[in-house]
Amino acid sequence: MARLQLKNVNKRWGSFVGVDNFDLDIADQEFLVLLGPSGCGKTTTMRMIAGLEEVSEGEIWLGDRMVNNLEPKDRDISMVFQSYGLYPNLTVYENIRFPLRVRLVPKEQHDEMVMRAARMVELEDFLDRRPAELSGGQRQRVALGRAIVRKPTVFLMDEPLSNLDAKLRVSTRAQIKNLQSKLKTTTVYVTHDQIEAMTLADRVVVMNKGRIQQVGTPTEIYDTPANVFVASFIGSPAMNLVQGRLEKGVFQGQGIRVIGLRADKSGNVTLGFRAEDAEIVKTDGNISAPIYSIELLGEASMVTWRLGGALVSVRANKGFRAEIEDVVQADIPADACHLFDTETGERL
Amino acid sequence: MPHKVFLSFLWPSLIVMILFIALPIVSVVYQSLHVEHEQIMIVGETCGPFGCTEEVSVDAEAMGKLREEKPAGRFNGLGTYFNESHLATDEIAEIFATSADFREFRNRVMNLPFYNALIFTVSYTLIVTPLVMLVGFIIAIVVNMVPRLFKGPVIFFSLLPMIVTPLIGSLVLFWMIDSRGVIGASLQVLFADPTLSLKASPTLTWVTLFTYGVWHSAPFAFVVFYAGLQTVPQDTMESAMVDGANRWERIRFVTIPHLMPLAIFVALMQLMDNFRVFEPIIGFAASASASSLSYLIFNDLRISNTPLFGSAAATSMLTIFGIIILLLPVLRQNWREFNRKS
Amino acid sequence: MSNPAEKRPLPLKALAISIVLIWIIIAAFPFLWTMWGSFKVEGDFFSRSDWMNAVTGPLTQEKHGSTFTMEGYEGAWIEREFYRAVINTAIVTVSVVAVSLTLGTLGGYALARSGYKYSFWLLMMALVFRAMPGVTLISGYMLPFFELNIWGYLPTAIIVLVAMNQPFTLWMLHSFFKSIPRDLDEAALVDGCSRFQAFRLAIIPVMWPGVITTGLFSFLTAYNDFAVTSMLLSEQNLTMIPQINSFLGSSQEEGKVMYAVAAVVSSIVPLFVFIMIFQRRLVSGLTAGAVKG
Repeated sequence: MARLQLKNVNKRWGSFVGVDNFDLDIADQEFLVLLGPSGCGKTTTMRMIAGLEEVSEGEIWLGDRMVNNLEPKDRDISMVFQSYGLYPNLTVYENIRFPLRVRLVPKEQHDEMVMRAARMVELEDFLDRRPAELSGGQRQRVALGRAIVRKPTVFLMDEPLSNLDAKLRVSTRAQIKNLQSKLKTTTVYVTHDQIEAMTLADRVVVMNKGRIQQVGTPTEIYDTPANVFVASFIGSPAMNLVQGRLEKGVFQGQGIRVIGLRADKSGNVTLGFRAEDAEIVKTDGNISAPIYSIELLGEASMVTWRLGGALVSVRANKGFRAEIEDVVQADIPADACHLFDTETGERL
Repeated sequence: MPHKVFLSFLWPSLIVMILFIALPIVSVVYQSLHVEHEQIMIVGETCGPFGCTEEVSVDAEAMGKLREEKPAGRFNGLGTYFNESHLATDEIAEIFATSADFREFRNRVMNLPFYNALIFTVSYTLIVTPLVMLVGFIIAIVVNMVPRLFKGPVIFFSLLPMIVTPLIGSLVLFWMIDSRGVIGASLQVLFADPTLSLKASPTLTWVTLFTYGVWHSAPFAFVVFYAGLQTVPQDTMESAMVDGANRWERIRFVTIPHLMPLAIFVALMQLMDNFRVFEPIIGFAASASASSLSYLIFNDLRISNTPLFGSAAATSMLTIFGIIILLLPVLRQNWREFNRKS
Repeated sequence: MSNPAEKRPLPLKALAISIVLIWIIIAAFPFLWTMWGSFKVEGDFFSRSDWMNAVTGPLTQEKHGSTFTMEGYEGAWIEREFYRAVINTAIVTVSVVAVSLTLGTLGGYALARSGYKYSFWLLMMALVFRAMPGVTLISGYMLPFFELNIWGYLPTAIIVLVAMNQPFTLWMLHSFFKSIPRDLDEAALVDGCSRFQAFRLAIIPVMWPGVITTGLFSFLTAYNDFAVTSMLLSEQNLTMIPQINSFLGSSQEEGKVMYAVAAVVSSIVPLFVFIMIFQRRLVSGLTAGAVKG
């Protein structure tokens, strides 16, 4: 159990910057999720914590130890890999026992520890099988079992659910959340799936191109995205973003006009709002344009316009019907709008 | 992986490669700049019943001592490179000045050992390589058509000419093309010429060696192309059919483009392998009418008691130079790709 | 399950089958012929009157009372002590395979897991050495080996063969280790292994397919080598291939070509067995270079 600190950590390969000045303090027992698209540096950051990648600059502290120069085996961590990294020649039991064996834990404790871990991940019935004889979900649980068989200071999980099918992902997600709260171990979890991030995290770190974009609780990240990137990355469907001009509290873009916004800023801005915050109206809408498409989702309909270069979607109730090219209007409440500087992408 | 750990895994291989690859190359360079000692002559008197005569002989003792002091011989600079058994610049100039026409020029150049070997090596490489690819491709296409049942045995027998080392493979053929062997005798009947011998004329010897080369290497091209045929994208094939391509057009526009990268690989391997042609010349006892760069080196070194180290080393250097020229486009392309990736 | 793409008119099929048959004959006939003929006397194998004699063996019948004779084999193996060459070949091939794989797996693993771009230089080296005739290096070996007094011995030839083949071995093993997911040994590292332990406990148990494939090629290099072994081994240490070559000179004159034929067949038979056992791996190894190249 320990707090984990990354102090201005950098990773460079030649002139390529993998992780740029990552600075974060992770509290004891916290469940931290690193979220971002592929190539954003999240996995590299985790691998540096694990010691699988050298740190180019900066310091990593685990509890009160600076671990930069420690081998992975000396860092007292455990990790779940994306493709699990199970030893194909060993049985499930042997796989889970492996860390105990190489760490020279006294033999007589092995059985009890392995059985406890196996029980927690519900694998008691499969202990004699080899990984090749298991389903994807079972393999994933073996990897989890191997991680929790000892009490490491930190759990690292690298996209552990990405190889599972959608249904299994939901149940395993719940299981991971449950395990973490029982074991009370600091956890760093890497994913590109924003729903996993939202459901699991105490705090989410959104990364892009090697930089931290925003750190916050899932609610903060969803409600007040710090910049255009976070706004477009979080939420499904992604936040609508339209470019235009803000003048005296009035936003004017192609086919869209919103009034009652903050009056202290003006200039080229990007207006953002979520599809579910707007509604279809008959008259006086902020948007009034021929629609580009209409999709029936079952519980609702999604109406889409093409405004300037951007596609803008609004959720309509499920009875709503219109033909493509019909002019439809939508109302966007001013308090549901987010404003970003078009130049920098930062939130205003 | 930190450098220290990396080295701790790699050092055994590194040491072996430095000792037995890097140093020998240095040694080749060094030796190529030296040449055997001049004979030290000694004048002795042999006295017989009819008085004494002066006799000049090699001073074995002094030579031995000299060899021990300087085993590589005396320094000769680039002399060996330009002497008559290598680049032969003087001879070429002379031949160029005195030859009446191109024919004579060519014939006289062909009599110079290095050029003879170079020309054979280059023609062997340039003729055998495309033939190998063509034959291999045809075999791959037809084997792909026959029922699955045959494929295992076909591949088994196809591998034989390639796996058996060239010396043995060429010996086996050599015995068969002997005028008393099955192929030689059949050819005599076929051409109704009882004196026909593939060994007699230089041209026929060259043809025999080229044929052997194709026989030896075609299996490699076949195996690679055959593996490639198994991965021809079925979607593209089917869409070509839907688009109305006939059998030949499907080969031309789907199969061949798919095999292109493999063809480049085969061509590269074949260029390299054929450039060092050597053992067939021994197996076919063809050294009288054909010789290759490798064979020249081998021959210099084989001279018992006094191997011509300097001469062999110079030919080696020239050969390495030739290979670098041959590989330059490939190396350059790899270098570009490497730079693009990193 | 009839796929229209695989439907072919009958004449085309017939043509394909006949080309395949012709190829099989071209590829295999010389070997089968020589094997058969090695049990005949010279007068039959090299018959002046009729090549059919090599099949039926009338002179063999006349001389030995049977159409088959072991004369050539007896002459080669016993009289000329070919068994020595066989033993030497066994020593050389086994050692070369063992040494180059031991060094190669360690080195290849390190190259596959190193983040730095050594692999490019390795590829270039493997390429250049693949292209360089073995003889060019041999001229560099001879003189130093004479001076150091290590010329002529089996260990010398073994280490030279290992070295000359090492860039290729490393390259093949390196691309094979790359295909083993990193997760496996990294999991071992996190679980508490040092690099060597991770290699031993996590990688060695799963690396055998690639090591065997690479080993096949090391075996072939050592078994088939002529240049190195003929130049670097003394007369009594010669392996099979150079030994056969030295038979040629002497036996041709003495009218004992059949000794050489028997020796040649003796050296081919193990390869027959070898291909039979490892056909699949050989093919996959040959094409691996093309795919990953």
